[in-house]
Amino acid sequence: MMFEYSALVTLIALTAILAYSFYAVLLAGQLSLAQIGLASLAAFTSALVVPAEPLFGFIPPLVIGIVFGMSVGMIAAFILGLPVIRLRGVFLAIATLAFAEMVRIFLINQTWTNGAQGMSFPKLVGPVSAWLVLILVAYWFWRLAGSRLGRAFDAIREDELAAGSMGINVARYRMASFVIAGAISGLYGVLLAYFSRFADPNGFSFVAAVDGLVTAVVGGVTLFIGPILGSVFLSVLPELQRTLGIDAGWIRPMISGVLLLVVILFLPGGLSSLIPRRKSALKLETDPALMPALAPLPERGTEIVRLQGLGKHYGGVHAVREVDLHLEAGEILGLIGPNGAGKTTLVNMVTGLIPPSSGTGTVLGNTLTVRTRAHRLAKSGVARTFQQIKLFNRLSALENVLVGGYRIGKDTLLRRLIFLPSARRHERELLAMASTQLARVGLADKAATSAGDLSYGDQRRLEIARALAAHPTLLVLDEPAAGMNHVEAAGLSELIRSLAGDGITVLVIEHNVRMMLQTCDRIIVLNFGEVIASGEPADVARNPQVLEAYLGSDADDDAPHGEQGTGRHAATTAEPEEQR
Amino acid sequence: MGRKFLSATACGSALLLALTACGSSSESEDVALTGSGTGAECTIDAEVPIAATFGLTGAAAQYGQGQKNALGLAVKNLNKAGGVTYDLTVEDSQTDPQQAIQLFEGFINDGASIIVGPTLSNTAKQTDPVAQENQTPVMGVSNTASGITEIGDYIFRVSLTEEAVIPQTVEAAKESLGLEKVVVMYSNDDAFTESGYQAFVAALEENNVEIVETLTFSKSDTDFRALLDQVKGTDADAIVVSGLIEAAVPLVTQARDIGIDLPIIGGNGFNSPALIESAGKAAEGVIVGAAWNSASDNPQNTKFLEDYTAAYDGQPDQFAAQAYAGMQVIDHAVRAGCSGEREDIKKNLGNIEDVPTVLGEVTLNENRDAEHEALVQVVENGKFTILD
Repeated sequence: MMFEYSALVTLIALTAILAYSFYAVLLAGQLSLAQIGLASLAAFTSALVVPAEPLFGFIPPLVIGIVFGMSVGMIAAFILGLPVIRLRGVFLAIATLAFAEMVRIFLINQTWTNGAQGMSFPKLVGPVSAWLVLILVAYWFWRLAGSRLGRAFDAIREDELAAGSMGINVARYRMASFVIAGAISGLYGVLLAYFSRFADPNGFSFVAAVDGLVTAVVGGVTLFIGPILGSVFLSVLPELQRTLGIDAGWIRPMISGVLLLVVILFLPGGLSSLIPRRKSALKLETDPALMPALAPLPERGTEIVRLQGLGKHYGGVHAVREVDLHLEAGEILGLIGPNGAGKTTLVNMVTGLIPPSSGTGTVLGNTLTVRTRAHRLAKSGVARTFQQIKLFNRLSALENVLVGGYRIGKDTLLRRLIFLPSARRHERELLAMASTQLARVGLADKAATSAGDLSYGDQRRLEIARALAAHPTLLVLDEPAAGMNHVEAAGLSELIRSLAGDGITVLVIEHNVRMMLQTCDRIIVLNFGEVIASGEPADVARNPQVLEAYLGSDADDDAPHGEQGTGRHAATTAEPEEQR
Repeated sequence: MGRKFLSATACGSALLLALTACGSSSESEDVALTGSGTGAECTIDAEVPIAATFGLTGAAAQYGQGQKNALGLAVKNLNKAGGVTYDLTVEDSQTDPQQAIQLFEGFINDGASIIVGPTLSNTAKQTDPVAQENQTPVMGVSNTASGITEIGDYIFRVSLTEEAVIPQTVEAAKESLGLEKVVVMYSNDDAFTESGYQAFVAALEENNVEIVETLTFSKSDTDFRALLDQVKGTDADAIVVSGLIEAAVPLVTQARDIGIDLPIIGGNGFNSPALIESAGKAAEGVIVGAAWNSASDNPQNTKFLEDYTAAYDGQPDQFAAQAYAGMQVIDHAVRAGCSGEREDIKKNLGNIEDVPTVLGEVTLNENRDAEHEALVQVVENGKFTILD
């Protein structure tokens, strides 16, 4: 019975493989339309190398074609990726579409492809081989999902900036997803040509690319099974309408179009969102014996950060000027100042997000220059939270923290593919690490909740847990108490003190001055980009310049009064005015 | 994860099963498709299933609709003759080879005696091997590229190849215009026009006509002024064009606009009423080789034109006429053996000789390709007339 429908069955598999090539890039939040050009390139070049007889008497020609096609796809994707990978969104889509069109025109004008009249291929692909290959591809993506590579793709898709601050080399991973897509495109091209026995460059057109994209999107990009569902749905639709006896002509494409619209409108996550996901798929790992062996933090007193005359200006505006700062291991340094004082600009320089315009700086042995990248500093042990929360909203709280563990993790994909126990052990260690950090900030009971659904205060705490999962030497907190009430802020203060007790160096920006005075070992006050005071909290609180900056008038009160005053003021400035 | 995977595969396979179950129930039982008598006296009790797929939507829609109409008309007329009744199924390939492959598979499973179509040659190269493997005859009615009937001994066509039409066109044009030097223009991103170009080159060589310049364009191009300016700089006697009708109209119009009054010789793509309708006066003098001419006074053709215009809006084009002729040839083969069995149809299609059709007297040669007289036409007074 299956034999009678072998073409339909085979085409479902092939369409799904094409959809996987789009899935691979969508997974990392990219939209590329080059796949169809890569497929075309692989199909036509494979005809040049695939022998008629098995190689060495036992390697089937199809296997040679597949290996060759995937290699061509990968190499071409890499070369294309070099110039275009830094493009985003619609620009990347247009650039890659242009590439596909270039390939089409190139192949049409070659004599060895027989131009527009196309090329014949022997039939080597049937339903069994097509599904076998599809299952292998699906299996690979299934095993990818929980690996470090898979988590890195998730992170990049959700928030590139945050991913970079976890130590993920965004450009390299985007390229990786591009090359993976290239390999699968090449695979598709070869399989299609050796199934349909014929290929002409015009067959690999924009329309074909859109078909692949639609299949991937209809299937959904959140679950590895998505492309298969999309392909079954879209391939069976015309067949089903024929069986139901709906007349040929314009009605059928109409119905298909309407159904497509319904799926996109009502199932934004694609068909795979219909499959009930077990929220508890990832459970907290509370066994302390499983905690990974972590490298020791630098000894107390070791220099972590040294800035000398560091400045940042945008045109004529000096956001930060001539800041000298040093920070030793285990210290808690507070950074306060009115809004617009340049605090966030300063920590962005320290964490490598923006390069300084003048002065020198060293962070954990890395010199701050134009070439400094955030992920490089993160790799050295800098972790941070953001003033405007940057969580991976569609991932669960626990998954967010697991991404944070990127720095201390190893890639397990290859070991996962063959279910090696060592991969499982490594993953449980990372899970234990993540669970511990989640429990430490008091979110253990919300592990399965999507980050986007957490309350504001919980999101702030989750960001801290995610940063801690990287086992950082230097933790940078940008307004961690914003949106927290007094009780929560007190809890946070305690947490920060305990982190310092563990040997973590903390640099914290906060408007809640009372909390800062209680928490920090030292405080630096910035105003208009300049340091106006620094020293022990009690001294800073008495500094008349500080009081003036905060209250806008001469303060002749005593310290306890001043402290109260700034405390009261803090209650008002703690409003999320910088949160946009 | 494991359960997720299982449930998904279960869903998928259930869908597939449901589908195959639906499909196989409609498969025809083995009723005898053989009858008694031969030729006009042949009587077959069971209906002979004829399946066809054309591009009714998508890129080939402008040709597919006419093919569908004409095929339906042919079956209706042939059923009226009595003795043999045909049961026609026409499906839309959406001009998508992958759809067409599935349709062919479905037709074969449903027991079609012969499959007519598909519209485009590049699709046929993917679908016809499926029929060949399953020993189901195919009648191509619009495939003109080379390499179609080479797919196997179950593949036939009534459509004249470019190689058959173009040499006659070139010969007639040379005789009439005294050609010595020409410029050749063609769209190199279309299978049909590219093979037409190759046929032109071969025919021009054969007739000792020099090609002074070869210019290529894309099938989606609509502005040919720059290319035509290049033509102006040559001393050619005529322009030879292998292009689709979408290119033909602007090309001819723009050539006359910029003052080129050289004769234009077109391939099969130019053989459309749209050339005269859209290009108007500019089309005057264009020479086109064709498998069919609406003005042909063959009585079969006159009746076809009458029937077609009565049944449908508008005039038939060459694609329609060829589809009609294809069905006439199939009918002849069925009646010759008085059998609708695939093997018998295949055998008797091999013996088609001088069968009168709307295209004239058609013979299928040993390569299963059609042979009939091609027509060389020239546009005169807003009409395609036979070139003397």
